[in-house]
Amino acid sequence: MTKIALVGSPNVGKSALFNQLTKLYVSVSNYPGTTVSLARGTMTIQEKLYEVIDTPGMYSLLPITDEERVSRKIIFEGNLHAMIHVVDAKNLERMLPLTFQLREVGLPLILALNMSDEAEKSGIEIQAPILEKYLRLPVIKTVSTQGVGMRLLKEKIYEFAH
Amino acid sequence: MNSHIDYLDEPLQKALLQIIECLKSSYAVSKQTLALLLLQEDPYVETLVQKEEGEAYVKIKELVQKTAAGYSEPLRFVITMNRQKAVDALVSQSVSSPKRSSLKISNFLSQLMIHPLTGYPIVALILYYGLYQFVGVFGSGTLVDFIETTIFENHINPWITSLVQGLLPWKVIQDLFVGEYGVFTLGVRYAMAIVLPIVGTFFIAFSMIEDSGYLPRLALLLDRSFKKIGLNGRAVIPMVLGLGCDTMATMVTRILETKREKVIATLLLALAIPCSAQLGLILALLSPVPSALFLWGGVVIGEFFLIGYLTAKLLPGRQPQFFMELPPLRLPLFSNVMSKTLSRIQWYFMEVLPLFVIASVLIWAGQLTGLFGWIIELLKPLVSALGLPAEAAIIILFGFFRRDYGAAGLFDLQSKNLLTHNQLAIAAITLTLFLPCVAQFLIMKKERGLQTTLLMSAFIFAMAFGTGFLLNLGFNIFGVIL
Repeated sequence: MTKIALVGSPNVGKSALFNQLTKLYVSVSNYPGTTVSLARGTMTIQEKLYEVIDTPGMYSLLPITDEERVSRKIIFEGNLHAMIHVVDAKNLERMLPLTFQLREVGLPLILALNMSDEAEKSGIEIQAPILEKYLRLPVIKTVSTQGVGMRLLKEKIYEFAH
Repeated sequence: MNSHIDYLDEPLQKALLQIIECLKSSYAVSKQTLALLLLQEDPYVETLVQKEEGEAYVKIKELVQKTAAGYSEPLRFVITMNRQKAVDALVSQSVSSPKRSSLKISNFLSQLMIHPLTGYPIVALILYYGLYQFVGVFGSGTLVDFIETTIFENHINPWITSLVQGLLPWKVIQDLFVGEYGVFTLGVRYAMAIVLPIVGTFFIAFSMIEDSGYLPRLALLLDRSFKKIGLNGRAVIPMVLGLGCDTMATMVTRILETKREKVIATLLLALAIPCSAQLGLILALLSPVPSALFLWGGVVIGEFFLIGYLTAKLLPGRQPQFFMELPPLRLPLFSNVMSKTLSRIQWYFMEVLPLFVIASVLIWAGQLTGLFGWIIELLKPLVSALGLPAEAAIIILFGFFRRDYGAAGLFDLQSKNLLTHNQLAIAAITLTLFLPCVAQFLIMKKERGLQTTLLMSAFIFAMAFGTGFLLNLGFNIFGVIL
């Protein structure tokens, strides 16, 4: 089965996105550290079956705590086909360093600008095309708690890994 | 799909390329990622590469050391700064953000929550309305009364009892289902009529607090007091989660950095953090007797800090810096609060109901064979050392299965007026300090190892009974009557 992992800093909405994609339920909270171990589920895009893996939050590829080690291990040893880097769109200067590190790994990567509704509400404007061109990867605006951007995200996943 | 690293200083960039040259084996991730992590002396990648490359690893190590010698700061810091510079350049091209004015109110609120002068009163308000009023008074008072008395005692119990008596003519078998400790009259009733409303209201209140973003602010507020017991504010998250379920919280100690912190947090969770079912039941039990409630709070919080302080002294080690992102304050999303509450209740019930039923069956079998009476006879000296009546031996026995089961038993005794206020306080305190349940024991074993867990359990056992014993002694000597 094609394996996709959701990775990113703590408290950016990976688990909510996981719930949206797999229609499963893992607990979602507004503080970092709710996910301390991997959660696995499946989703189907155009009759193709994918395994989706939700990972504990990590700040960089250099882990400090155990749950960050769990996430790095899945990137290094998990035979992934693609990764989705979920970020808080309100805080890109803190989020993108991990995007840089993830794209260096060499696996197909999609950047999900999550909480884009909150970003818009506070007046933050993001030029996704500029990010796409510079980073050379697809950039999609999402609101994982409401399912915004899921269709586009799934299209990209299908395009990248099938 | 090859994105080359292009943001490093020249000496670093050169070293990176040289290290990549040395990596001959094939790896699951790109060589540039490995090389970059090698420059930052990451132990995991070092072990991996050393195994794969053998002799050549010495050369890599030399390269890293030579490069590091050229900088006054550690390489991981230099690399982070280099990367951040590239990120900042990219962000300034692609993102425009205004002066934040719409966030004023939530920023102001956030400040109030963090500042000690206003922060502690806010904690008190949340505890009073969220826990005491909603869970204690409404959940374990109004709701339990309604479900227990109106639904169970007036409607379901008589119906089930006559049904069972009609279907099964043997007294012994009848007792299994509807006797004093029957599967239905005790197991199901405890679970549905006492535990469900309390745990349900608690989980609702708790899910709302969680989703509002209050917890990291509480962590910041409590950081200073927690430092005194060798933990930093980060440990507030597992501790507060422990008020929901200590078993889950023990797993969440993984977010702590050092082994030392994890050991302290695990011990404190098992000893002094009551879980939701227990907390609700104890609030309900003690709220008519404020003096007992305060004594219970004082003793449990006191032991939390005392034992934390002492273990921190015993286990010396470095204290990690506190660092936690503050997520924005949000109005909790109704659907998320509900689905979270439901999934927690479901999870709790799947775990608790079978255990309650099994406990009922075991007690029934124990009574039939006389084993039950024998164990209670055995526990009597222990119970009377705490100044409790013989009936409390059953609760202690229940408590071995689960603290919340024991607390439900205590609730039952209290409503039959079998306990004085002194006895109530002692029983509540002893039970709170007890190891919570079999599930927690198993998780502790998984996270901390069998030896540590057995040591902790023995210690907790001694602490719980020691405290009860001393309290009783104190009450008798000073003639205290609550």
